[in-house]
Amino acid sequence: MNPSDWLKLGGIAIVIVGLALRLRTTLVVVTAALVTGLAGGLPLFSSEGFFDGLPFLTHAGQEGIINMLGRAFSENRLVTLFIITLPAIGLAERYGLQEQSAALIRRISAATVGRLQIVYQLFRVVVGMLGLRLNGHPAFVRPLIFPMSVGAAEAVTGAKTADDVQTDILEKIKAANSASENYGNFYGQNLSPVQAGILLVAGVLNGLGYAVSVWSLVLFAIPITTISIVLGAAQFLLLDKWIRKESANSKCEAL
Amino acid sequence: MRSALISFSSVSDASLSLSAVYALTGMVLLVFAAMTFVDRSNRRRFGSGMFWLILAIIFIFGKDKNGGLLPHWVTGLLILVMVALDGLGRVTRGSHNEATKVEQTKHALKLKNKIFLPVLVIPVVTFAVAFYFRARGLNPTDGALVGLGFGGVAAMLVGLRLTGAKARVMWHEGRRLNDTMGTVNILPQLLASLGVIFTAAKVGELIAQGIYKIIPADNLFMLVLATCFGMALFTIVMGNSFAAFPVIATGVLVPLIIKPFGVNPAMVAIITLTAGSSGTLMTPMAANFNIVPAALLNMRDQYGVIKYQLPFAVTIWLLHVLLMWAMIKIGF
Repeated sequence: MNPSDWLKLGGIAIVIVGLALRLRTTLVVVTAALVTGLAGGLPLFSSEGFFDGLPFLTHAGQEGIINMLGRAFSENRLVTLFIITLPAIGLAERYGLQEQSAALIRRISAATVGRLQIVYQLFRVVVGMLGLRLNGHPAFVRPLIFPMSVGAAEAVTGAKTADDVQTDILEKIKAANSASENYGNFYGQNLSPVQAGILLVAGVLNGLGYAVSVWSLVLFAIPITTISIVLGAAQFLLLDKWIRKESANSKCEAL
Repeated sequence: MRSALISFSSVSDASLSLSAVYALTGMVLLVFAAMTFVDRSNRRRFGSGMFWLILAIIFIFGKDKNGGLLPHWVTGLLILVMVALDGLGRVTRGSHNEATKVEQTKHALKLKNKIFLPVLVIPVVTFAVAFYFRARGLNPTDGALVGLGFGGVAAMLVGLRLTGAKARVMWHEGRRLNDTMGTVNILPQLLASLGVIFTAAKVGELIAQGIYKIIPADNLFMLVLATCFGMALFTIVMGNSFAAFPVIATGVLVPLIIKPFGVNPAMVAIITLTAGSSGTLMTPMAANFNIVPAALLNMRDQYGVIKYQLPFAVTIWLLHVLLMWAMIKIGF
């Protein structure tokens, strides 16, 4: 490797060190982008319009770092679209959404935190099979699944309200909610031949001279999706066990 | 009659587009920005307001394949301003008079299950528009995004009607949630930019070369291990298995496994892709899956989601290695 290769990897080092030290994440990412781009010999600006032929800042025929920054940011606005759902979710929360979700789930005696995550993960696999990719964290998890899980925890731990559920249990519930969304989403989407991942793999293999059908890719995705469901279920059932133990411990301490 | 139909469908295409929902989201951000500028409880209201105002401008005027006014270099410079504001600690949250538990419970007893209506409108509209797009031969993934946008608007209307609340209250609650997440909101978009620059600087080829050099080319198990490891490692760095797959497929999978061993390309390729998903579960670089949800749920530890997913991710990654190796041995 020559020195500029090492410098390029410096961008990765900046990210690792910056995140580990919990520095301002936005700043860490942009610094890493600038360092990597400059180490890779990329110009700051594309040579066009106002910047046409400007020495030092541009390089004929190469896209500039600042241009790439703006282009990728604009083209990826879709990941931040959930902001448009925040007013409606906030309003519903003010009018008792979380309380009502919890009340609803308390009436189902078989409901536990873990079982709820298992059902939600399966639901996300089915959504993926239908060929839909959506960001479930704002659409389902925050407004519905999280308060339902808290309701189930209240029933299991004997807490009267959400405020009585211990903080460490609440934190684990939030993490499990996000995880069941991710597990179901990541491994479920490969069961549909119209999903981006399947299309990407088929496209890349075709480009390399191997014609594969999207259906054969879906077929070979089945074992891993099955494993993901089993592993997820195991982790969520262990969570139930942990919650029972934690709440029993805290009751002993209280006595 | 016929021309009326055609004009209806072209009008619906223009309004049912990604550009339209980006503009709508931009308007929501404009409201948040305006409220922040006049929020006397926020000590840094000018910096905070500027941050959300700039994001609103990029949402409304940003350029992509469907058009837009802002040249990319202007957007790039605006991003640098946003990041500088955040880096200097000028973006803070105001105080919000939150509804008390008693208040919320009182409303819950009155509205009962009707309170689910506004929230359920979001997925219903999302699915409806996605299936409408598919029926018209358009991209259903775009449809789901457009549906999410219009679902958000429909949910606002349903919520206002149902609760009889003033619009002010709704915007206030929306801004409360947005402030909870803060500048983490733009992280997924920034990381996408970092990914593009990593790709342009050929960081991926560097990693693939490194793997290519260190593994013995005749030991199948070691090759499978290296492929799955490279895929997960590269995904951890890029935060995205879709960016990692082409590099690993071209640099490692095809020349070292598919070609010399004559294995089924579909089988090893899809297992390689999901080996990358194990990496996605472990990395803060996949901010939209791991960091934004932690902020959205108000978690104490911003890495709490990743820590919870770690044992699952490591176990399923190991099973990828074993499965791929076993299936090649069995002769699939």
